[in-house]
Amino acid sequence: MSVSANDNSAKVSVRGFLAKYSVLIAFAVIVILFAVASPTFLTPANLFNVLVNNVVMLAIVALGLTIVISSGGIDLSVGVSVDMASMIFVMLLAAGYGGVVGVAGGLGAALIVGILNAILITRLNISPFLATLGVLFIGQSTQQLATSGGQPIYLTSGYAADQFNAIARTALFGIPTPVLVLIVLVIAVHVLLHRSVFGRYVQAMGAQPGVAWYSGIRVPRELSMVHVLCALLAGVTGILLSSTVKSYVPLSGNAFLLDAIGATFIGTTLSRERKPSVIGTLLGVLLLAIVKNGLLLVGWNFYWQQVGIGVLVFLVLAASFGLRRAAH
Amino acid sequence: MQTATREIAVSMTGISKRFGPVRALENANLEIARGSILGLVGQNGAGKSTIIKVLAGIIKPDSGTIVINGEVITSLTPASVEKLGVHFIHQDRLLVPTATVGEAVFLGHEIGLGPFVSRRAMERRAADLLKRFFGMELPPGTLVKDLTTAQQKVVQITRALAQKASVLVLDEPTAALVKREVDSLFDVLRRLRDDGIAVVFISHYMQEIEKLCDRVTVMRNGTDVGTVDPRQTPIDEIIAMMIARDVGEMFPKRSVTLGAPVLEVSNLRLGGSFENIGFNVRAGEIVGLTGLLGSGAKEIVQCLFGLKTADGGQVKVEGRELSLSTPVKAVRDGIAMLPEDRRAHGVALGLSVRENISLASLRRYSRSGMVSRGAENQAVDGLIKELSIKTPHRDALVRELSGGNQQKVAIAKWLSCQSRVYVLDEPTVAVDVGAKVEIYNLLNRLAGEGAAILLLSSDLLELVGVCDRVLVVYRGRLASSFSGPAMNSDALLAASSGARSNTDGVAA
Ligand SMILES: Nc1ncnc2c1ncn2[C@@H]1O[C@H](COP(=O)(O)OP(=O)(O)OP(=O)(O)O)[C@@H](O)[C@H]1O
Ligand SMILES: [Mg+2]
Repeated sequence: MSVSANDNSAKVSVRGFLAKYSVLIAFAVIVILFAVASPTFLTPANLFNVLVNNVVMLAIVALGLTIVISSGGIDLSVGVSVDMASMIFVMLLAAGYGGVVGVAGGLGAALIVGILNAILITRLNISPFLATLGVLFIGQSTQQLATSGGQPIYLTSGYAADQFNAIARTALFGIPTPVLVLIVLVIAVHVLLHRSVFGRYVQAMGAQPGVAWYSGIRVPRELSMVHVLCALLAGVTGILLSSTVKSYVPLSGNAFLLDAIGATFIGTTLSRERKPSVIGTLLGVLLLAIVKNGLLLVGWNFYWQQVGIGVLVFLVLAASFGLRRAAH
Repeated sequence: MQTATREIAVSMTGISKRFGPVRALENANLEIARGSILGLVGQNGAGKSTIIKVLAGIIKPDSGTIVINGEVITSLTPASVEKLGVHFIHQDRLLVPTATVGEAVFLGHEIGLGPFVSRRAMERRAADLLKRFFGMELPPGTLVKDLTTAQQKVVQITRALAQKASVLVLDEPTAALVKREVDSLFDVLRRLRDDGIAVVFISHYMQEIEKLCDRVTVMRNGTDVGTVDPRQTPIDEIIAMMIARDVGEMFPKRSVTLGAPVLEVSNLRLGGSFENIGFNVRAGEIVGLTGLLGSGAKEIVQCLFGLKTADGGQVKVEGRELSLSTPVKAVRDGIAMLPEDRRAHGVALGLSVRENISLASLRRYSRSGMVSRGAENQAVDGLIKELSIKTPHRDALVRELSGGNQQKVAIAKWLSCQSRVYVLDEPTVAVDVGAKVEIYNLLNRLAGEGAAILLLSSDLLELVGVCDRVLVVYRGRLASSFSGPAMNSDALLAASSGARSNTDGVAA
């Protein structure tokens, strides 16, 4: 009897290990596959390109969603925050204002989206899903109204282009500014979510809202903070996006929403309790970015990339869930 | 008497189950006979719920044999067990909050034609059953989330009773109930026993075991240590089997000189619930508050913690008037509250023991918004030891603790706050005898340090044993106040059912 029990527990711990590290394993397997399939995949130039173009902006939006999802909520309007920041930033530069004013204005626009979400959720008691869905619709229409039906604004030369380049094309110690911004934000959000009092309150609200309330936590205030932070982070991405493409293209922020949610949930497989974490989210973003890039290099078109990503998310989550259930 | 013809419905032998390093069950045995009520007792974490969940097919044992109706069962699932006629009321199973009472009672056994359920019929039958078993009348279509904890428990019990069970297992069914409902439940269970059904009854109340059970199996550290007849065996002896150490006196005596009033309530009023409520609790004093379901006692406590907003009246803590609009303010003003519904409000099951214990007092262990893990760990370890919380380590999830130990975590959370006023709503529900004494000692210590304690409880013996004074609420008013020799459980019971009142000294 005892032999079989030991045998069992060994099997269980192997499964537990696989379940816990399914993201990392998937990551390694995928990197190897693409390295074999495409000679350019593992070159520094390509990896750098992935980092700057596919990772940074998505990761910053995903950091915001990690906070929101930790609190037990969701923000479907991150794309609107991206777009609003991008729109006001570009419009201010087009009007001749300086980069600092432009960035402040852009972040201010994102802040307003965050505050709107916070009011709907904490004052009017609308569920985060519905509140942010409403803001998503309103935000999309607002952009179309403000740009005569969705006309992009291009500022590819002159003064504005210099301002853009100062953000997107500079570097410190050889590290591009956007990557530096990401590093700073990752550390900041990690400390906030996993080390600070605020982060603990967020986790408590996510785990059991009633308990947070009965413990004397100012749930509405903390929840407002959560949504404002998420919108601001998305706003940062809006500014980086405009600086990179030197333009504002209406409704382009929505592309981040599903990837960011996907990355956050892939990241939850790292935790036994399926809690989102900054490290997990970052891994999720890297995984998605690498797959997109790899499939592109192997010659798949955009639509097949989407299918590839769907299958990947499904496999990672299923492996983690299934193995963990078996381990129990 | 029954032994000659005892027919075994369920027999579990050599059951072992480990959760990681925790040995929840170690070669445990359980034998359930038809036409008899078997008590199952043991300390928090002894393995009672675990062995029940093994039988229910919720937990897979590492080893052991299960025989149901003479047949060896190799694989159990919740559905297959129900087919065999074994039904359960689990300690920690929640009802669907948005279901109606009818839907909850018939969940999984819906009434209707084919795929169509007849809501009307379910509501009607559920209402019939509730009335018949418990004399409880609820407006048709009431949602589960609008019921009190006790009413939810009654609905859960009714669900199990509604099935044609041949074996019925109840894990701490009386934990949230008042005496009248407990009596109704016992009547139902006795009737079922006389119909030849096998009943298993888990409880921490020894009087209940003595009153109801034909035999009692005692568990300790995951093993059954003996089965005795509770009517032939003194309670002390059963407790000794459970604990294997002396718990000391059930209600430890204390001598404390009362200080100035800390909590002063006057003229408190909440439409439809209570009115003209006034009382004081002095430093070092433990005041009990009790009343039947719906008497308003619960609501008074909820108003004190800002969970409900009173329509009028005044509450002062140490002479300062409070606004009491939210729990946030109440906590700031030095009021701690142990809620009755542990799973919804007391502890977050998905957080660790550490995170739960420090949740209400995080500011104490933090500097400029950052949690200092060293200080936090030290405080948490101290409380785990002080309350003897049975947990593998401070970072274990509260979900993995036994019911009673979860309750201790909820208490520990407020101890780390060092509040002025402690409002405790049924603090010893689901807590074993030894831990009860520990909690009483703790209340005494807090009172000794000058805190004011308001203890809401439906356990009259507990109120008499622990409190300096007991206030009885009847139909929204403070009907009586008892202290000294006049304070005994018969008098409390009479006053809470309105049979007797004694209004002098209520506003003391
Ligand atoms: N899912 C789980 N994971 C880890 N440990 C568990 C789990 N469930 C139970 N345990 C442990 O198993 C032991 C037995 O728990 P069980 O719930 O059976 O106790 P109990 O006798 O019902 O206690 P109580 O009177 O407090 O309800 C405890 O030490 C508990 O911490
Ligand atoms: Mg239990």
